[in-house]
Amino acid sequence: MRPIPLWLKSGRVQTGLVILFVLSCVAIFAPYLAPNDPNEQNLLSILTPPLWSAGADPMFPLGTDSLGRCILSRLIFGTRVALTVAFSAAIGAMVIGAILAHIAGYFGGWVDWLIGRVVEIWLSFPPVILSLILMVGLGTGLRNVVLAIILVDWTRFCRVLRSEVIVLRRRDYVAAAQLVGFSHWRTITREILPGTLPLLITLMSLEMGVAVIVEAVLSFVGMSVGSETPAWGQMIADARQNIYEAPFNLIAPIFAIFIAVFGFNILGDGLRRTLDTRLTQTERT
Amino acid sequence: MFATIARLMVKRIFTAIPILFVVSALLFCILRILPVDPAAMSLPPNATVQEVEAMRREMGLDRPLYDQYSIWLGKLLHGDIGRSIHFRQDVTSLIGSTLPATIELAVIAMVVATVFGLAGGLLLFYVRGTRAEAVMDFASILLLSLPEFLWSLFLLLIFGVFFEVLPFTGRLSPGFERPVVTGFLLLDSLITGKFSSFFNALEHMILPCLALGIALSPSLMRVLRSSLMDAYQDDYIHQARLRGLSEARILIRHALKNAILPTLSLMGVQFGFLFGGTLLVEIIYSYPGMGNLMVDAIRNADLPIIQGAGLTYCVAVLVISIIVDSLYLILNPKLRAR
Repeated sequence: MRPIPLWLKSGRVQTGLVILFVLSCVAIFAPYLAPNDPNEQNLLSILTPPLWSAGADPMFPLGTDSLGRCILSRLIFGTRVALTVAFSAAIGAMVIGAILAHIAGYFGGWVDWLIGRVVEIWLSFPPVILSLILMVGLGTGLRNVVLAIILVDWTRFCRVLRSEVIVLRRRDYVAAAQLVGFSHWRTITREILPGTLPLLITLMSLEMGVAVIVEAVLSFVGMSVGSETPAWGQMIADARQNIYEAPFNLIAPIFAIFIAVFGFNILGDGLRRTLDTRLTQTERT
Repeated sequence: MFATIARLMVKRIFTAIPILFVVSALLFCILRILPVDPAAMSLPPNATVQEVEAMRREMGLDRPLYDQYSIWLGKLLHGDIGRSIHFRQDVTSLIGSTLPATIELAVIAMVVATVFGLAGGLLLFYVRGTRAEAVMDFASILLLSLPEFLWSLFLLLIFGVFFEVLPFTGRLSPGFERPVVTGFLLLDSLITGKFSSFFNALEHMILPCLALGIALSPSLMRVLRSSLMDAYQDDYIHQARLRGLSEARILIRHALKNAILPTLSLMGVQFGFLFGGTLLVEIIYSYPGMGNLMVDAIRNADLPIIQGAGLTYCVAVLVISIIVDSLYLILNPKLRAR
């Protein structure tokens, strides 16, 4: 049997993976876990408190929102939007950012200059503003949220990876590969990519956390998925209106977002510590 | 030294111009593919098809896109971003009346972030190698997972709703006088001697600024800690120890002076993010700044405001980065020599 890889032994990586596994299960089995239909309005029992307070309705374990919709069920179904956006946006941003970073770093010259300027233009937009403007242009919907996040966040990958590629390009084994007559494509994928992969994976994990936040922000201002799809940001927007009557309605989605983002961040931090070859052994433990 | 800084600033301003040009073109294009008709929106709902058509011609919407863009850009250079469709007011005056509020918020939040970031970074460094380090390191990851969006709601719940010690809507409680000189409320109330307004406005700023500042500080802490670690590898630290200086003096007068530079350049980048982050905080605290204007405009598909506010945010980010770069030059003598 192969020994357990070093990165899996890290407590941080394990914590992150456990959190993500639980969240994924919640998302996949949402229809079986949720006690009620997340969109069903019960106008006779609006803003009921959670089970542990007086006047609670056992039908709704975490209470109801301003339209009488079950908080727990909306929370559970909201996991779907959050994770879908996290995975697809992070992968998309990673692919675009990584490809451009490798091209810029490897070839240098005018290609590098051009990509560098594009990144600079992108960075002159605060990310929240750019994603909002893109959502205005694209229109709401899950696919467009993912697209907007990809179009905003590819620069995070591009900037960091480019400098890593430049370091690796100067290594002797890359020069050796070029001398042997490897094509550019083969040199990049076989010689440089294995070197940038640890950083790539780490960045991707962190980006998933960012994507969860951005989606929540967009749905908070009503510029994400439509109102028929439950999302954590929408729950916050709804609870913000009734903050005195039902403060718990606000706490529940905040906590959900926090757990998801924390899972991605601690996973990313653990991966960075174990995969980064430049860190010393003491820093890893 | 001033010549070097002036040269850098001129150079940076010249590179900022093409960036703004591209940004304005991008903004224009993104918002023109929008499936709303600005002409139909600026007319009453019972307008006839002919009236809409006439309005389209008047607004230049029947011309090709690059024509429309050059007209828009020409007006923009004269300080005319158009009229808001929803508010029926010049966009320039709308932005002019909300921008100072946002700047005030961002600057104070940045001060908060700097204080927390420096204190936290020094503390993280101070406990290095002890058991407390693991705890604090873990805590800083926890803090990193809470963006300003969640901090705002969280602080609002605790101090606004549960303990009811601080106000959390708007800039001023009803009944307080609102002096207008520069548009910066804190400054204006001081100039005009309205101290009760000043303290009330300050109270309103506490929660939003804390939310923005705290959210920003963990990354500053972590960078400061690692650059302090790097600085302590250098020979001048040993030399200072051999001279018999106290550890506190070595840390503050020798190591920190060098370690602060990477933190400063990160702060430049973060300040740009923070400026965007004010948008959410403004919405959550109903703070009448540019963020609220922008979101109102988005809900009403008010294109001129979205374009104008979007562009203003970009200008702000570019200005901030130029200022930070100049500051960097002032604080780093190594760069000045050339």
